[in-house]
Amino acid sequence: MLLEKAPTRERTPRVSLLPYGLLLPAAALLGLVLGYPLVRLVVISLQEYGLRSLFTGTTRFAGGDNYAAVLADPQLLPVLGRSLGFCAALVAGTLVIASGVALLLQRLGRRMRTAVTLSLIAAWALPNVASTLVWQWLFQPGYGVVNWLLTRLGFGDLTQHDWTTSPASAFTLVWLLVVWQSVPFAALTLHAGLSQIPRSYYEAAALDGAGPWRVHRTITVPFLQPILGLVTILSVIWDFTVFNQIWILTQGGPGGGTTTLGIWTFTRAFSRNDFGQGAAIAVVSVALLAGLTAVYVRRLVRSGEDL
Amino acid sequence: MIRRIGRNVTAAVFCLVWIFPVYWMVLTAFKPAGKILSPTPEFLPLDVTLDNFAGALAKPGFVQDLANSVVVVVSVVVLSIVVAFLAATALTRFRFFGRRSFLIGVLVLQMVPVPALVIPLFLGLKSAHLLDTLPGLILTYVALVLPFTIWTLRGFLHGIPVELEEAAMVDGATRGRVMRSVLLPLVLPGLIATSVFAFITAWNDFLFAYVIMKDSSGYTLPVWLVSFSTSTGTDYGGLIAASTLFALPVVVFFALVQRHLVEGMTAGAVKG
Repeated sequence: MLLEKAPTRERTPRVSLLPYGLLLPAAALLGLVLGYPLVRLVVISLQEYGLRSLFTGTTRFAGGDNYAAVLADPQLLPVLGRSLGFCAALVAGTLVIASGVALLLQRLGRRMRTAVTLSLIAAWALPNVASTLVWQWLFQPGYGVVNWLLTRLGFGDLTQHDWTTSPASAFTLVWLLVVWQSVPFAALTLHAGLSQIPRSYYEAAALDGAGPWRVHRTITVPFLQPILGLVTILSVIWDFTVFNQIWILTQGGPGGGTTTLGIWTFTRAFSRNDFGQGAAIAVVSVALLAGLTAVYVRRLVRSGEDL
Repeated sequence: MIRRIGRNVTAAVFCLVWIFPVYWMVLTAFKPAGKILSPTPEFLPLDVTLDNFAGALAKPGFVQDLANSVVVVVSVVVLSIVVAFLAATALTRFRFFGRRSFLIGVLVLQMVPVPALVIPLFLGLKSAHLLDTLPGLILTYVALVLPFTIWTLRGFLHGIPVELEEAAMVDGATRGRVMRSVLLPLVLPGLIATSVFAFITAWNDFLFAYVIMKDSSGYTLPVWLVSFSTSTGTDYGGLIAASTLFALPVVVFFALVQRHLVEGMTAGAVKG
């Protein structure tokens, strides 16, 4: 089936073991470190796996007990809603700002464009943990410059305000951080896509007397669609699984108010030492994410011509 | 005219907001202790000191953890590039049974939420006696970056005409030689892009380092960084200076190759 599709210019050696040999290391690593753990995750989720099993290495088959416990947990619905809502808010924030910036970059003069690009790269390059710690510092009660600024701007005396004491403001804190971190990648990628659109399309449209909105809709958007799709799907994956930022800033608090599926998995497994239930939560989130991304993957697989 | 001013003002505000945290970090790192914890911030570098850096470097564990980070990053970059290059060559230069399935598998693995793998990886490494060891961490990172690196390198290799290699083969070069002296130089930008990605992933990761490296052999730098804030308080001067040092190598690499990175990302997407 593949041989028929092969372009004629490509060599089609008869049966060769060489490609398999070349793939072997990659396949082995992917299988051992990603594939096998995925399977193991499902197995653990069906086991009673606690601290005891960790030392003795023996586990008891628990059937659906872990899932039953997780599904019956009153925390489940809040965590689920929070994870989805948070992911949506992050993706929306990232995409809206990034598209705006990408379009802006197209229309700026050279010097301003360089300035924007440099700011984006600076934010992008800052390591995740470093930005999170800097964030903590910016919003620090007492000495945080953001609180000082807000107070100066007339929002009342916020100098002692601790952003992590209420779930809503803790989420705001994380949202600002994650969006700040993820806009650069999205904006630069979208801008790279925009600059690949042939100028002649726009010239032709201008000759035909098309207005800016129409040009945007009939040329820019369709042309940008594959890249927009890629950026969206990657944002969904990253934002759904945000861990470091929440863990370092709030540890899922206050009172579990910023606990998402990722944090819940982690605390169940490593704080409570219930790896079985932690795994069950992880399986639920993998399934959810698979559902969210299925449409995209299917489209990619279908368009498999050049795969 | 008004439009143009509007655009420039918007751009300027954006720049200010996006660069400020970075500026604030660097500025704080150079501030003397008395000015760091002052309720009225100072926005210009009026009083510069290196004390914070000295303090951060003197903190216990730094040398060990830096060494760990360097070993991990170098190994991850080298291993992942070699493995991904071999795989990408197989995928773009040969037609064989199972090629498509492999590609789809790579794509699907890229969609797996990484935090979900922490538990089984932790348990798997434990039974392989690789917990708390650098090889365990290295293998984890290599596998984590592989889907992306294979995908990106494949995009780059796709853009290189096979005719070039065929010409060399007609001239009597072996496949191995073609790979070394024709393919490798042409794909260099792609290799740089992917190595930066591997570099950044391994240098920055917190979650796996936090779980896998428990104590006896030290941490990597991200975990070392977080240890600045303890329940008894945070040494912000040291913490921010350390963050600045930690960010420095990434910023330098990034500035050098950012164009290739975006190119690599989009190369795969546009063709889809």
